[in-house]
Amino acid sequence: MNTESRPREPAAGGGARDPGPAADGPAGPGPSARRPHARLRRLGRHLLLSEYFVLYLSILYMLALGPFLPQLFAAQNLADMVSNIWPLLVVAIGQNFVLITAGIDLSQTSNMALTSVIGAVLIVTSCDPVLFSKCPLWGTFLTEHGGPLAGMALGVPIAILIMLVIGSLIGWVNGVAVARFKMPAFMVTLTTMMFFSAVAIYLPKSENIQNLPHAFNVLGKGRIGPVPIPLLVGAGVAVGAHLLLSRTLFGRRLYAVGTNPVASTISGIPTARIITRAYVLAGFCAALASVLYSARLEMGRPTLARTQFIDIVGANVIAGVSLSGGKGKITWTLFGVIFFVLLANTLNLLDLPFYSIDIVKGLVIFGAAFLDVLRTRAAAQGH
Amino acid sequence: MGSRASRGILRNTTFVLFVLVFVVFGMLARNFLTLGNLQVILSNSSYIGIITVGMTFVLLVGGIDLSVGSIMYLSAVATSLVVNDLELSPWLGVVACLGVGLAFGALNAFAVTRLGIVPFIATLVTMIAGRGLGLLVTQSVQLDFPDSITLLATVRLGGVQLNILIYALVVAAAALFLAYTSWGRRLYAVGNDPEAARKAGLKVPRLIGSTYVLSGVCAALGGFVSIAQIGRVPAGFGRNNEFDAIAAAVLGGVSLFGGVGTVFPGALLGTVMIRVIQAGLVARNIDIYIQPIIMGAIIFFAVLLDALRNLQLKKLGRRNIMKMET
Amino acid sequence: MHASMEGRGPSMEAPEGAAFQFLGVTKSFFGVPVLREVSLSLRPGSVLGLVGENGAGKSTLMNVMGGVLRPDGGRMLLGGTPYQPQEPGDARAAGIGFIHQELNLFTNLSVAENMFIESFPTLRRTPAIDKRRMAERTREHLAQIGLDISPGALVETLSPGERQLVEIAKVLAMQPRIFIFDEPTTSLTAKETGLLFEVIRRLRTRRASIIYISHILGHVAELADEVAVLRNGELVATGPTAEYPVPRMISCMVGRDLKSIFPPKASAPQEEVLLRVEKLSQPGIVRDVDLTVHKGEIVGLFGLMGSGRTELARMIFGVDRYERGTVRVGNGLLPRGDPRAAIERGMAFVTENRREEGLLMNVSIADNIGLVALPEFARAVTGHLRRRRLQEATAQKAQELHIKATSYEAQPAKSLSGGNQQKVVLAKWLLAAPRILLVDEPTRGIDVGAKYDVYTIIGELARRGSGVLYISSELEELLAVADRILVMNRGELVGQFERSEFAEERVMRAAFRQGDEVRP
Repeated sequence: MNTESRPREPAAGGGARDPGPAADGPAGPGPSARRPHARLRRLGRHLLLSEYFVLYLSILYMLALGPFLPQLFAAQNLADMVSNIWPLLVVAIGQNFVLITAGIDLSQTSNMALTSVIGAVLIVTSCDPVLFSKCPLWGTFLTEHGGPLAGMALGVPIAILIMLVIGSLIGWVNGVAVARFKMPAFMVTLTTMMFFSAVAIYLPKSENIQNLPHAFNVLGKGRIGPVPIPLLVGAGVAVGAHLLLSRTLFGRRLYAVGTNPVASTISGIPTARIITRAYVLAGFCAALASVLYSARLEMGRPTLARTQFIDIVGANVIAGVSLSGGKGKITWTLFGVIFFVLLANTLNLLDLPFYSIDIVKGLVIFGAAFLDVLRTRAAAQGH
Repeated sequence: MGSRASRGILRNTTFVLFVLVFVVFGMLARNFLTLGNLQVILSNSSYIGIITVGMTFVLLVGGIDLSVGSIMYLSAVATSLVVNDLELSPWLGVVACLGVGLAFGALNAFAVTRLGIVPFIATLVTMIAGRGLGLLVTQSVQLDFPDSITLLATVRLGGVQLNILIYALVVAAAALFLAYTSWGRRLYAVGNDPEAARKAGLKVPRLIGSTYVLSGVCAALGGFVSIAQIGRVPAGFGRNNEFDAIAAAVLGGVSLFGGVGTVFPGALLGTVMIRVIQAGLVARNIDIYIQPIIMGAIIFFAVLLDALRNLQLKKLGRRNIMKMET
Repeated sequence: MHASMEGRGPSMEAPEGAAFQFLGVTKSFFGVPVLREVSLSLRPGSVLGLVGENGAGKSTLMNVMGGVLRPDGGRMLLGGTPYQPQEPGDARAAGIGFIHQELNLFTNLSVAENMFIESFPTLRRTPAIDKRRMAERTREHLAQIGLDISPGALVETLSPGERQLVEIAKVLAMQPRIFIFDEPTTSLTAKETGLLFEVIRRLRTRRASIIYISHILGHVAELADEVAVLRNGELVATGPTAEYPVPRMISCMVGRDLKSIFPPKASAPQEEVLLRVEKLSQPGIVRDVDLTVHKGEIVGLFGLMGSGRTELARMIFGVDRYERGTVRVGNGLLPRGDPRAAIERGMAFVTENRREEGLLMNVSIADNIGLVALPEFARAVTGHLRRRRLQEATAQKAQELHIKATSYEAQPAKSLSGGNQQKVVLAKWLLAAPRILLVDEPTRGIDVGAKYDVYTIIGELARRGSGVLYISSELEELLAVADRILVMNRGELVGQFERSEFAEERVMRAAFRQGDEVRP
């Protein structure tokens, strides 16, 4: 490690304020002819770096496409869009925690798939032997009369609880691998993603598990009073996560760890434990989102959310949650999710084939990542 | 703690694993380890092996390339355009194929070195958008290739199948390149310490960029070899091959952290190992659903070993300041 | 004669014959001057020994020469012509070989490959590396140093001493006319040091010019033709080595600096022992270190760069592990490698590099100050933070320490001057009310006013009953502030001085371990 070292020159453009020119781009204000140009650039920079950039973008996007897609503003369509926000928001919030630690969790999608399958298996009311007799759980967990908790009074809540526990365990495995063994986050979660996805498909032998009890399905489309249940869950998670990040010890420490893990450890923060907890939260949120998605689809789906990774990470990154860690707010995640739901909806309305949608989403994530790079550079220069 | 023993194991993981795999499968399936069987495995592994060579380059400088599967598909599409639609010679098809690989590799290189985007995101985008682009062109329709292409797969030179020869050639060329050229040795330097490489005056962005280009070309070449063998390209062509390539490389001792690993024997052994395991699982009639589960577990284990080795290396790098005895 | 000579003297030739010249070179960091109008000449075919305490400016001067830093004022002449390197490559191209203390070797490559990494010899008309020729030439270069290792050996298999010699061989291979050796013997055995000296003498015979920086004054006395002493960024003495035996070197390095002002010493050590370290050892780093810190006591830990003081502090606090020995806080044994346990027992650690290890630069001042004491403001079960109380506490602490900022909540730490940044780090630890404070170079790189504040803060902490272990390379600072001074050299404690025994030169001599000579 470092032995006594000499005072170092600050990194280009960064560092403490010097009694000297500010470390800002090229030469200062030039002749008046250049001023409007500089002002425009400053406005552009301000917009890009603004917290609300994605919100502006969403509004602009809606307005731009409105004339071509009048169905966009149809009441049913808007209602659909809003209902799509909540599950995505829940899982994206989980990803937010991990991104703040400068990590990433690619396994959330397979986490959702696996917990969907497991939850469904537990409470399914009846299974068609034609479809399920070949699967490994037949005879033990699954019979013609359904799963082990079918018909039980508290079957659904217990099943949900088990889903959440399993989702958290998956997160725990990721967390330990990253925090303790210092395995690269993207590789670990890529591997666990493939592993758990394979398990999710294996258990029901690729079959969707339908015939779930009404008590479960109601969570997807039901209401409590005038309020849809997914909205309650989504809003609850958002508020809870916001409080966790902004008002608790854990939240403060999470930001510190993502900003500078070395300084955090020296200041007494249990860095490994904090990082692990972030991944556990990501897993928990994935499982919770899985409840909402599965209930809405009224089935356990081994391929649930398979292509949604782009949406989950993209929503966060485009809204300002940096891939390099240390930054992230729940409001940003919300804005990002709104944008991605809007994007997906319009692409659907335009009747684009799935591969064209992939191209568009790919470009959007590319733009988001590039934006992240620009933002990080701007921050280093003291803006 | 037996640290010396564990250090020894960590250094030679590849060989240890390789021996282990062969012993295990030799025991499990008596008639598995026949020469004929192995030749078949090798022949079927050629295309993955070629892609793994390309992946090795990227890993050596500490990067990653998730887009190789999609590049395979895109280059297959290009080949089909030239050979089927434009009805030109198959050799022009090869040129188009490699050209596409080069182009998308260059795109990755640009995103990583010029725009500063993290490699896995940059190549993830290429992977998703690239396949989307390919599917857009083909409209999800399967592509079939004429005899002019598929006959190439039956060619034998000196009794050895053409695709095995191509693979051997690629491995040889890559191994020589990495061991005997300035560019190759500098890749190792960049992977070991990018800052020191910069201070030593090496052109780090160019070195890193070149690996993505090479990876793209290898992906295209692997794709071509695969086309020649199976004669058709379904919409899912190449899907998940990137993962196989990464797994093969890491099992073969190439580190995700950069600066460590070889094409020969490393990546070669890793490729053979992966394919032997996969073939062995099939031979034993292991449930097809369980195979990817086992593969996933194996790869996790390989990445864990890589991380442990990296921690060990870091620990050994601490400085000594006391006067040392002569 | 004890006159302070600025770059001129009977031994210096007329400037036209000089291999290299500094003329009035000035450099500051964050408003703190590090080089003040340094004018120095290097004669061809000679060895110039450059000495000074840590922070005297030696490395900065060499970095200016080597193109790593740009001077704020003054100029340089290389062989009589103006010289303005923009980057290290320019210095190399100009024929200046800089052997840094930090090695730039690639551990996964062989010795030969490291030597030729910039331009490999190739087989005629092919891109292939001519391994045979590379090995041959490497052997030649290694033979020049007398290093007996295979050119194909991987650097990761070499000892630190061998690696350092390889680094030297690498620079030699470029055949520069001017050499800068920056602390080249830190990892070398006695035998290897002898080899190095042989090389330097041979270079001198061949009319190369060498600047040799070392804190081992015995080596400098033996090797150099001329000596230059830097103190606080100024060249305070220069002349032939014959006129500067080691004691005179030391007294020039030490000289009293009229600018530093210290607050009156207020505390007095008490009986109770707060920290007891016994036989702390880590192979290759420290050996058998015993020390105690009493209540109300400020124990200074002095030593030169590389003496192991920072490593010791890191081990005591738990950032690094150690193999043998014990650390006791009060009566309880402190577990190894556990900073949280140390903090729980009332320890605090202000590290020497605040930017990397002490602060979250992009985070607000208030959040930085609250970082260690944070758990005290959290409710038990939920972890909910009492934010207003936290805000008040951090603001109060910031004001106590006179941290100048417009808004503690809004301003990031990186917007502060060095002095204020250091105060933020101190505030962070003081908020946790530590009983034992380990500080490592707390006044490095900050202005005079802030220094005074830091001395006051630490003094007050001691007066209220805490114990302080104060690591510093500025001896006069320790003389003014400490109750006892311990001296470390190469990982061992080599001296202890009570306040009554304080005398600069005695302490210095212990640090420089007089009698350190090399017999090649």
